[in-house]
Amino acid sequence: MHPLLSDRTALVLYLIVFLVIGLILAALLTGSGNIQWGAAILYSTPMSLLYGLICLSSWYVCRSFPLKTTGTGRIATVFSIAAIISSALWILIGELLASVLSSFSFASSLSNRSATQILLFAGAGIGLYLLSVAVHYLVILFQQSQDDERRALELKILAQTAELRALQAQINPHFLFNSLNSISALTTKDPPAARSMTLLLADFLRQTLKVGADQRIPLSEEIALCRRFIDIEQVRFGTRLQLKDTIADEATSCLVPPLLLQPLIENAVIHGIAHLIDGGTILLEADSHADRLHIRIENPYDPDRPSAKKGGLGLENVRKRLHTLSSTEARLDVSEHNGTFTVNLTLPVFKE
Amino acid sequence: MKSSSHTTTAIVVDDETLAREVLREHIASHPELSIVAECSNGFDAVKAVTELKPDLLFLDIQMPKLNGFEVLELIDHKPTVIFVTAYDQYALKAFEVHAVDYLLKPFSKERFEEALEHAKKNMQRDASPAIEKIVSSVQANDQPVERILIREGSKVHVIPVEKIDYVEAQDDYISVRSDGKSYLKQHRLSQLERALDPARFVRIHRKYILNVDRLARIELYAKDSRVAILKDGTKLQVSRAGYDKLKKLL
Repeated sequence: MHPLLSDRTALVLYLIVFLVIGLILAALLTGSGNIQWGAAILYSTPMSLLYGLICLSSWYVCRSFPLKTTGTGRIATVFSIAAIISSALWILIGELLASVLSSFSFASSLSNRSATQILLFAGAGIGLYLLSVAVHYLVILFQQSQDDERRALELKILAQTAELRALQAQINPHFLFNSLNSISALTTKDPPAARSMTLLLADFLRQTLKVGADQRIPLSEEIALCRRFIDIEQVRFGTRLQLKDTIADEATSCLVPPLLLQPLIENAVIHGIAHLIDGGTILLEADSHADRLHIRIENPYDPDRPSAKKGGLGLENVRKRLHTLSSTEARLDVSEHNGTFTVNLTLPVFKE
Repeated sequence: MKSSSHTTTAIVVDDETLAREVLREHIASHPELSIVAECSNGFDAVKAVTELKPDLLFLDIQMPKLNGFEVLELIDHKPTVIFVTAYDQYALKAFEVHAVDYLLKPFSKERFEEALEHAKKNMQRDASPAIEKIVSSVQANDQPVERILIREGSKVHVIPVEKIDYVEAQDDYISVRSDGKSYLKQHRLSQLERALDPARFVRIHRKYILNVDRLARIELYAKDSRVAILKDGTKLQVSRAGYDKLKKLL
């Protein structure tokens, strides 16, 4: 719907403008001397108000021919034709109105309108229509820029929410309680092991809190965090859980968002290794070529497990964070094949 | 169910060695309790419970192969259960609602004693109704099932739903046809129908649920009576309502 039609004040203002235009047109008619003021106003103000309404229709035409995607020639043609048709229609209605009005004695002077005056009206009609087109395009542009601004803001909020959720999801309660249970088991059976597990856990939590505050950390720090995580989980899973990492030297100094990989490693444990009776090995590889950092995480999984449970939220969070990092250059690909789950990450290289 | 002797037999099921050790340590201070088996995954648990019929079951929820609830679904002999879990909001709610005994890892000696005491009281009566209730309440989510679990003796078959050809009702049992073999399970066809994905499985007859991927064609057999011919040549009767459902889906 036309924006004016939903805003009463603006509509009234708009019609007042056309009322003024009507008075100007009336002055035009009386200028020649043979038409009286009363008759001229009686004729030109309803005509002008009517044309005000006709001009509103150009809004819909403007919307169907967006400035950005329509050629100048096309716009010129379309609106010249539309202006001529609108004006012609208006003049036609004007003639009808004039013939009706001039049959009354008080407005009979209307029949004295000269051809020049009618042509002047037609010219004014074309001009006013084109003016309304220009104004409508301006309004559309303004609305678009407002929309863009709002969308950019929404995207920013979305990115920040994703970030926050990703960080909040870090310390998985399941992980924490299971680790505490391991400590509780070790306290009587193997006190030194209980102490070392406590230290591992404290270390991991401290590192998580530390890097969580940074925008970007070196890959080496993120990998250290992953290793620490696996050390802790190995206390629970024993030999069932193995990690094999191959990190190229040039990749270690690349900067990555903190806690980008740890959730993926955690997924590999929770959704992969934990469901295999004999466990398995998680592969973690990273290298950088040209200006791209490639990271690959691979883990075996139980193909008999319902697929819906294989990783969902953690992966989604990482994907969102990558998207906020760079929507074009960063990507995450997932594949499952023959009982192996693979996550491939590609991101632009940032260095200090 | 009360055991015949004075000792109470127990099975400990947890995939973590350390977690089993904690339980063992606590159980050791109760001479009337005797651990008859320790299991580290769902398959072993089903086997051990079926063969040893313990009085008491310490059951972890998150485990390889079958989770704790799936283990309970598969066993005929329902012992008194004490659930042991680290963190599972969903299950905790179910435990509270159905007043079952559970231990949250890590747990204290006192908490263990309390749960055991309570479980012993429960041992006086049949545990099956409570267990069935909690199993069905945990399983009753809106997601269609992705696999069917069937126990043959102490062996468990896991059949992914996409491998099912059709399911036939046979009295109190259903016969699941998959890969040229039939598996019997005590279950109602209507219950299974509700659990399966309706976009893939259609109740074509009072007696049959068909995986529509297996359908080759439908032939008119007599007036108002049709047969579905499967890709492997099997013929299944199709009722009028079943035919309407198939038509709507295809």
